[in-house]
Amino acid sequence: MSTVPIEPLLHLSPLRRSSTIHRGPTTSSLNLRCHFTSKKLHSIGRSIASGNSLGFRRRSVAIRASSSDTAVVETTSQSDDVIFKGIFPVQRIDKAEGKIYVRLKKVKENDWELSVGCSLPGKWILHWGVSYVGDTGSEWDQPPEDMRPPGSLAIKDYAIETPLEKLSEGDSFHQVTINLNLESSVAALNFVLKDEETGAWYQHKGRDFKVPLLDDVPDDGNLIGAKKGFGALGKLSNIIVKQGKSSSGSTKERKGLEEFYEEMPISKHVSGDNSVSVTARKCPETSKNIVSIETDLPGDVTVHWGVCKNGSKKWEIPAEPYPEETFLFKNKALRTRLQRKDSGDGSFGLFSLDEKLEGLCFVLKLNENTWLNNRGEDFYVPFLTSTSLPVETEAAQVSGKTPKTNQEVSESGFTDEIITEIRNLAIDISSHKNQKTNVKEVHINILQEIEKLAAEAYSIFRSTTPTFTPESVLEAEADEPKIKISSGTGSGFEILCQGFNWESHKSGRWYKELQEKADELASLGFTVLWLPPPTESVSPEGYMPKDLYNLNSRYGTIDELKETVKRFHKVGIKVLGDAVLNHRCAHFKNSNGVWNLFGGRLNWDDRAVVADDPHFQGRGNKSSGDNFHAAPNIDHSQDFVRKDIKEWLCWMREEVGYDGWRLDFVRGFWGGYVKDYMDASKPYFAVGEYWDSLSYTYGEMDYNQDAHRQRIVDWINATSGAAGAFDVTTKGILHAALQKCEYWRLSDPKGKPPGVVGWWPSRAVTFIENHDTGSTQGHWRFPGGKEMQGYAYILTHPGTPAVFFDHIYSDYRSEIASLLSLRNRQKLHCRSEVNIVKSERDVYAAIIDEKVAMKIGPGHYEPPSGSQNWSVAVEGRDYKVWETS
Amino acid sequence: MEVSVIGNPQAKICRAELSFRELGFRLGSGESRNKVCFLTHQSSKWKEIRIRCSPRSVKCEAIVSDQAPFLKPTPNPRSQLESVKLFVGLPLDTVSDCNNVNHMKAITAGLKALKLLGVEGVELPVFWGVVEREAAGKYEWSGYLAVAEIVKKVGLKLQVSLSFHGSKDPEIGLPDWVAKIGEGEPGMYFTDRYGKQYKDCLSFGVDDVPVLDGKTPMEVYGGFCESFKSAFSDYMGNTITGITLGMGPAGELRYPSHQHETKPSGAGEFQCYDKHMLSALKHYAESSGNPLWGLGGPHDAPAYDQQPHSTSFFSDGGSWESQYGDFFLTWYSSLLTSHADRVLSVASSAFGGSGVSVSGKLPLLHQWNKLRSQPSELTAGFYSSNGHDRYEAIAEIFAKNSCRMIIPGMDLSDEHQSLASLSSPESLLGNIKTSCKKQGVVVSGQNSSASVPGGFERIVENLKDESVGIDLFTYQRMGALFFSPEHFHAFTVFVRNMNQVELSSYDQAGEDEAQTVSLGSGTGAHSLQTA
Repeated sequence: MSTVPIEPLLHLSPLRRSSTIHRGPTTSSLNLRCHFTSKKLHSIGRSIASGNSLGFRRRSVAIRASSSDTAVVETTSQSDDVIFKGIFPVQRIDKAEGKIYVRLKKVKENDWELSVGCSLPGKWILHWGVSYVGDTGSEWDQPPEDMRPPGSLAIKDYAIETPLEKLSEGDSFHQVTINLNLESSVAALNFVLKDEETGAWYQHKGRDFKVPLLDDVPDDGNLIGAKKGFGALGKLSNIIVKQGKSSSGSTKERKGLEEFYEEMPISKHVSGDNSVSVTARKCPETSKNIVSIETDLPGDVTVHWGVCKNGSKKWEIPAEPYPEETFLFKNKALRTRLQRKDSGDGSFGLFSLDEKLEGLCFVLKLNENTWLNNRGEDFYVPFLTSTSLPVETEAAQVSGKTPKTNQEVSESGFTDEIITEIRNLAIDISSHKNQKTNVKEVHINILQEIEKLAAEAYSIFRSTTPTFTPESVLEAEADEPKIKISSGTGSGFEILCQGFNWESHKSGRWYKELQEKADELASLGFTVLWLPPPTESVSPEGYMPKDLYNLNSRYGTIDELKETVKRFHKVGIKVLGDAVLNHRCAHFKNSNGVWNLFGGRLNWDDRAVVADDPHFQGRGNKSSGDNFHAAPNIDHSQDFVRKDIKEWLCWMREEVGYDGWRLDFVRGFWGGYVKDYMDASKPYFAVGEYWDSLSYTYGEMDYNQDAHRQRIVDWINATSGAAGAFDVTTKGILHAALQKCEYWRLSDPKGKPPGVVGWWPSRAVTFIENHDTGSTQGHWRFPGGKEMQGYAYILTHPGTPAVFFDHIYSDYRSEIASLLSLRNRQKLHCRSEVNIVKSERDVYAAIIDEKVAMKIGPGHYEPPSGSQNWSVAVEGRDYKVWETS
Repeated sequence: MEVSVIGNPQAKICRAELSFRELGFRLGSGESRNKVCFLTHQSSKWKEIRIRCSPRSVKCEAIVSDQAPFLKPTPNPRSQLESVKLFVGLPLDTVSDCNNVNHMKAITAGLKALKLLGVEGVELPVFWGVVEREAAGKYEWSGYLAVAEIVKKVGLKLQVSLSFHGSKDPEIGLPDWVAKIGEGEPGMYFTDRYGKQYKDCLSFGVDDVPVLDGKTPMEVYGGFCESFKSAFSDYMGNTITGITLGMGPAGELRYPSHQHETKPSGAGEFQCYDKHMLSALKHYAESSGNPLWGLGGPHDAPAYDQQPHSTSFFSDGGSWESQYGDFFLTWYSSLLTSHADRVLSVASSAFGGSGVSVSGKLPLLHQWNKLRSQPSELTAGFYSSNGHDRYEAIAEIFAKNSCRMIIPGMDLSDEHQSLASLSSPESLLGNIKTSCKKQGVVVSGQNSSASVPGGFERIVENLKDESVGIDLFTYQRMGALFFSPEHFHAFTVFVRNMNQVELSSYDQAGEDEAQTVSLGSGTGAHSLQTA
């Protein structure tokens, strides 16, 4: 037995550290899960730390000494038969503990200084305001100008944000100092601390921190600044003492003010980037597969694993022998504890597996509540036979797991988690009577978990067409056409009309019906019409395309389509086709009975299907985006696929006469491919549907939706601006603003519109409703009765507005018509300048290009009566629009 | 031992908002079990919701038993609402017709979320056309068993709806073999005046006619129930706490008189034109001495989406009030009543003693119910001569079979109905509840859909109503809309509100009683007003 050969194995992979990138709300569920679990348990930090205990070391030594006939021995004979090698970044969440301190110091007679500091690294912001003498209630006010330190930013009319500065380079202490002039009428200073890196807020006993400067400040239990001598942190909750009482009978209120210094514990979740490196070799003598797993994760690491055989990716239990410290877990998986490296910074393990096995699946377990996987999937190590592919080093090699097995594992994991959580709750309750924060955290974490789960369920439900299972979709013989179109920027003066709703296929003659409306739509002022998907489709609405070259659909025949396009061209309206490029329904089953072979003119095989949707057994590469689960997702990384799609788009341009595209579900593939398609088909106008969820905290929409619009802008960027995108952000914010009378949401901190239109107006296609969000599906319906406010917004603002068919043929018609004619008359366009003049609780007002003024909301606003002469152009319930005459 | 935490759940610190809610935890004080209380602070009024978290139930969780969820409202001895168990319906297409579980991942995540929220369980629609799809007596339960297992693992309860009807959206038909028989035996489907068949449900006229390979539909339904019972024997009485029997179109006890769900504006049509019902009508007419009345249904009834008063049948003094009208409607409604009796007897004989409750669902036909004739109810089969309560006979059947009654539409309020529809869901609901109370039938509630304006508030009010103790409510239905951030948030608030109301109703018992009274009188006044 020799351990020598292990050493090179241990060091063959310089640990790659991936940079910490904040992905915002798209962060994989893995991170959220870890965040959740580690946050809820104070014991996590401890258990990781305790991994270094002596006991463990001793054990690990013992293992090495006694290791006999399994893994280690066999590695001695191995040569270069590396069959798999991969390094996977993993992110773990640790809890860092530190303190917040608050110091009140006297500088001169009436000049005092309040310092707030924090010992943890981070991008700390003090979010603060004051209460004036005579204020009642818990509201904040803006402090006087002279109190604001340099670099402060006003938030609305009630708060200031001041960043904390590093005390010294290389030190993690951050601090901010506010000068107080006691001659002002400030009665108290309120603040909370915010970490911009994580978006987390830190409060004091669940409330604002409140530093009283007078002795009659009402005590809501959140005052700080007390008598000296309260060093014990655990007692902080009991130390609320009003200054007045500590000053011996002074008559002047301010005299009660005393210097103080207080510390409070704070904890923050810091993500650590580690990696797992996996190497599989074939032992030439025994032909066994030797897998080495090593990681730089600190503490105990347990590998929760199983093997795959017979072509299925199901977890199975291999025959013995197992590595040391291996236990059977519920007959579903094995658990092997990794051995500590001698250097102390990580662990490793060797697994010797039968040659016939096809692969090894595993996840890592750090403790009861922390599991790590490979970006949401199990780690998978394929044992390729000598005849198959050469060595792969990419992480992409790791492919999907069997959903079923995974489900089982995670389910029991879930139940275990809840139990552990409750136990800990009980323990915490009994052991820390006063540490209320624990309980609160558990509670908040339960809420977060609920929201996370709901979001997960939502994203899946939303992306599937519930009526069709993949099987039934593919079996159905129904001929449904399907096409999507998107557009770029056109002239800049475009106004889009979505020319159908979810029911339009029902008449069977939609194209003809639309033709009859051509003159009417043109006279209303539309310049672009978005037609429904034209191809054969297994769902009548057209979004499950099958044969892309068959343009006979429930909306009509190819000839009727061509006629329609011609008709609209005649009245000067450009026409967009709805192109569904993400997925395509197959014509035939493969040998396993899975539908992934296509027919028709584009008779692709399973190489055209992405590999990471287990339902369709694609042989392509992993998807470059999100998967749509109801049909095979097309692998756009294949040259032949891209070539065919480009050809098809060009054919549609020529044959049908489409001017551009509305692109369906572009989250499903990389925007770079869209650029390729746009370059080839040269649309006049193109717009992509990039729809994901906005950020919510505790069910309430966040004010700052920058992460959301960033994702859309990122997509537009990936297309090099060749296509615009629907401004989902603006729609979402309008929902919240109108529904709850929170019009302040309509201005971002920089005073710009808060949606995509605020950042990249020429590529933003603003809308308030479409066939998915409204119509008879109603997945995300615009607040009822407030549609006209929405249109008053998008039809006066920059961006390219899109009007939904149902609204044109509703009671709103005449009001919409007036707004359309105003937009055309005043020549507002997608790059118009918008100047937000009011964004308050109940009213939002803006002036666009200095010639159109608008307000929405019940509140009052009138444009300034200056040099310009404003006259009312359109007016309706809770909105008003003026123009200069 | 007492721990109290006050937390502001609003990460944003917005001033001057009512949103200054506070949530907190308090942990039991000096009692033998730990209690966790959420404290909600709105303006200056404190409301309290209690959540019991006894070490015992924790232990039960550990062995993945079906014990109560750990977040559960503590019974409030003085509140009617204390024991309302909240269920959420699973998607209709949870199991595909190939017996696969659809959106497994989404459902699993959804179930966990519901469990954490403290929801009691879920309702699972089981379709005849999925389970006994291929051949008579060949049952395939695997898909539904898989769902039951997940539900059990997550620790939720299950209400199963055995559906002997088909669905348009998602498209689930009757079993293939039944459809095949139907091609040669068109008389087994409901048929309207123009001979159009309704193929999503068998006609009440063939209940006891051996049309299905020598068996009557009732025998086939019975066999289905027995097979279900043995296939799910491990779950009965523990995970599965209730069974609902499908009684007609969409599972509801009614004739398919309204077939265009999106356009419920008309009066609906009588469905008595299949072979079997026509011959029964003929027979009945002859035996009552008016053979000419048995030649067909009313000739002057309006079509599905015609206004009730567009023809003479439903107008004041119209045919419905004539002797002929009474003759026809009595017969038409008696078939509905006897159908109810047959189905419920099948159910109670199959499931009696297996530890589950059995229920059947009524429709809430509120369209046009401010008209004296109440045409929607008449075409659907609810009638009583002499102006007696139209629901009493039905409630009696439920009582006789010891079945619970599910009433939908608890989210509908009068103020949101269009004036033109002359509709009052609230008073109709009151009527049915009164009948149930008279007959001692236990009522469960359902909502009509997830997007009714003011729906949640209305549901809470209905559940608060102490005149009929509703102890089970099923919220319809899980899916994309249900989990959309806006709806799900509202649902979360609803779940918490139910508990809050519990307490405020306790605080304001007097007010609640007053509401009950006014509801009662409103019901009484109703028939006068509509004159």
